[in-house]
Amino acid sequence: MANALELELKHLIIDTLELEDVTPEDIGRDEPLFVEGLGLDSIDALELGLALQKTYGIKLEADSEESRRHFANLKSLAALVEERRVD
Amino acid sequence: MTDVSLLSAPWRNAPSDRPIGWYCAAPPSQAAVPWSILHGRIGAWQALLDSLAPPGQRWLLHLRAPLEFAAALIACWERGDSVMLPADDRPETLAGVDRVTEGRLGDAPRGHRAGPDAGTPRWGTLDTDALALSLYTSGSSGDPQRLDKCFAQLDAELSVQARLWPLKGRLVISQVSHQHIYGLLFAILRPLCERALMAMSLCRYPETLSDWLARLSKLRHSTSTGLSSDTPNVPSGVVLITAPPPLERLPEELDWRAAPQMLSRIHSSGAPLSQAASEHALRILGVPVSEIYGSSETGGIAWRIQQHNACWTPFSGIEIRDDDQGTLWLRSPFLDTADWQRQADRISLETSGFRLLGRVDRILKVGGKRLSLTSMDRTLGTYPDVLQARTIALPERDTRLGAIVQLEPQSIPQDHTARRALTEALRHHLLETFESTVIPRYWRFVEAWPSNSQGKLSGTVVAHLFRDLQSRRLPRWLGVEFEGDERCRVTLEVPERLIYVQGHFDAKPVVPGIVIVQWAIELAREHLGLQGEFHRLERIKFPRLLCPGDRVELLLFLSPVPPGGERNVKLVFTLKGRQATHASGKALFSSIGDR
Repeated sequence: MANALELELKHLIIDTLELEDVTPEDIGRDEPLFVEGLGLDSIDALELGLALQKTYGIKLEADSEESRRHFANLKSLAALVEERRVD
Repeated sequence: MTDVSLLSAPWRNAPSDRPIGWYCAAPPSQAAVPWSILHGRIGAWQALLDSLAPPGQRWLLHLRAPLEFAAALIACWERGDSVMLPADDRPETLAGVDRVTEGRLGDAPRGHRAGPDAGTPRWGTLDTDALALSLYTSGSSGDPQRLDKCFAQLDAELSVQARLWPLKGRLVISQVSHQHIYGLLFAILRPLCERALMAMSLCRYPETLSDWLARLSKLRHSTSTGLSSDTPNVPSGVVLITAPPPLERLPEELDWRAAPQMLSRIHSSGAPLSQAASEHALRILGVPVSEIYGSSETGGIAWRIQQHNACWTPFSGIEIRDDDQGTLWLRSPFLDTADWQRQADRISLETSGFRLLGRVDRILKVGGKRLSLTSMDRTLGTYPDVLQARTIALPERDTRLGAIVQLEPQSIPQDHTARRALTEALRHHLLETFESTVIPRYWRFVEAWPSNSQGKLSGTVVAHLFRDLQSRRLPRWLGVEFEGDERCRVTLEVPERLIYVQGHFDAKPVVPGIVIVQWAIELAREHLGLQGEFHRLERIKFPRLLCPGDRVELLLFLSPVPPGGERNVKLVFTLKGRQATHASGKALFSSIGDR
């Protein structure tokens, strides 16, 4: 279920990055995660990459064009997890 | 003229019928406390110490009553012991000092106290180089630091002050704690060495100060007109030992008519007094403020009276220079080294002294990038309605900064939406100058700058402001204001990640009522010293839901039960948002007593 996964990812983002004043409702599925929108940065990208690896077994090239595309917004992130998770 | 040297122990041969203490609120005939009483208390403390351990110990000393503190301190010194003064009596502060001391003396929990019977004091020797006491400073970053002071260092500083500002038998009234160096020197050791008078208790509130000054003025008037004959030792004047926080908050509406008649001098230290506060104090009290610049590490460095000279004048014997960065260097007889010491303040040298230009730039590496926290503070300060800002490296979050931002009251965010909008706006403001990786992630918005009683943003206060990051059970603490000893007002926010509001994704998350009650009790224990066992709740109401992101004020008030009794205590609490009351009620506690 896409919605359950998206909610799960919202919590993963908030908990991994210890965002103190962001609730799941604050993260729109089409809204950019980085710089604009949620305002995440390159350090967050690294930490999020690690969390994805730990939780779903997904390995991403650090700082590659591909990773950047996957991290564009919540929808693309959910699609990545859906496609590549090794549970 | 009496000998004012600490090393000559001027208390030993002080005339026993002359007063050293003064009960400012007592009837005139019962106000004076003679030296003979102090001598008896010194003897009582020595009897206690003798029963605990042989001489040569180091004791933790925390005692609020000034003269009793002096008695315990002298008892230790004359016995050949030294003391460690914790900055406050919070459990973690005391625990840190416990590790290096023989035992606790005074009013701290488990503190030994001398019995009520007077004893005969025993005099020893005060060696120039012997350790007299150690202090714990709470620097604005990191852990408290221990500072040792030998008798010669204290003596040098006391002599310089006594020459510049002789007390001449006046009454010293203090609004600052003598657990810190400034209060210790000015409010305890100086009256002892100069055989002046000290008020028998700390004067915490402006109402008390106004009342005491009025009583003293009336007393002096009645003595000079011959109406009263039983008070031969009426104080000729008052020296007030205070700090920026009380001076900035002096209320105009109190009766200050006695102040200009009674006050001979006002001292302030801890932080520079703003020009506005300096003028405010002069207007209300009628006496200019003599400020002291210094630190626990260095002792006094310089002084000024802003109305005479905005520049600071170094104390006699202190040498000052700057370097090419404008950093202050210091050589001082109050230090245990004759080498030049670099300080953390920047100065400009002027013909009439020096000006303080603020702290040396705080440079930090955040995510591998060098960042001047000072310049980030300045940039934040240019955003509309930001009065003051301080970015802080958080020890537990090595890659992320926190920011404390003081705002105009109308700009303080009251709920989640407003807070998100504000942090977003501040982030965008900073992004014009800084890279995104260094922008603060943890924001604390305050209405009043959260300083400690010395007017400083201490490491302790900073830790309080960010402690909800350590435990997801705690509210976000944003400051406390006291209204007397039994009443306080704590500003809180409900963290979005609070553990108690998690788990109900579809329903609107709210804070359970019992959590609010728990917070009220814990904060009353912390701020008001509530003790005893929880008994029951009364009249608990939760008229409005409390949601994540909400900003509220928690009003706490302790009252004895029954009124005037001491066995039980009632905690009355109200949790208010700007719009409505979220919770109110009472909690009864039965006193543990002296089991």
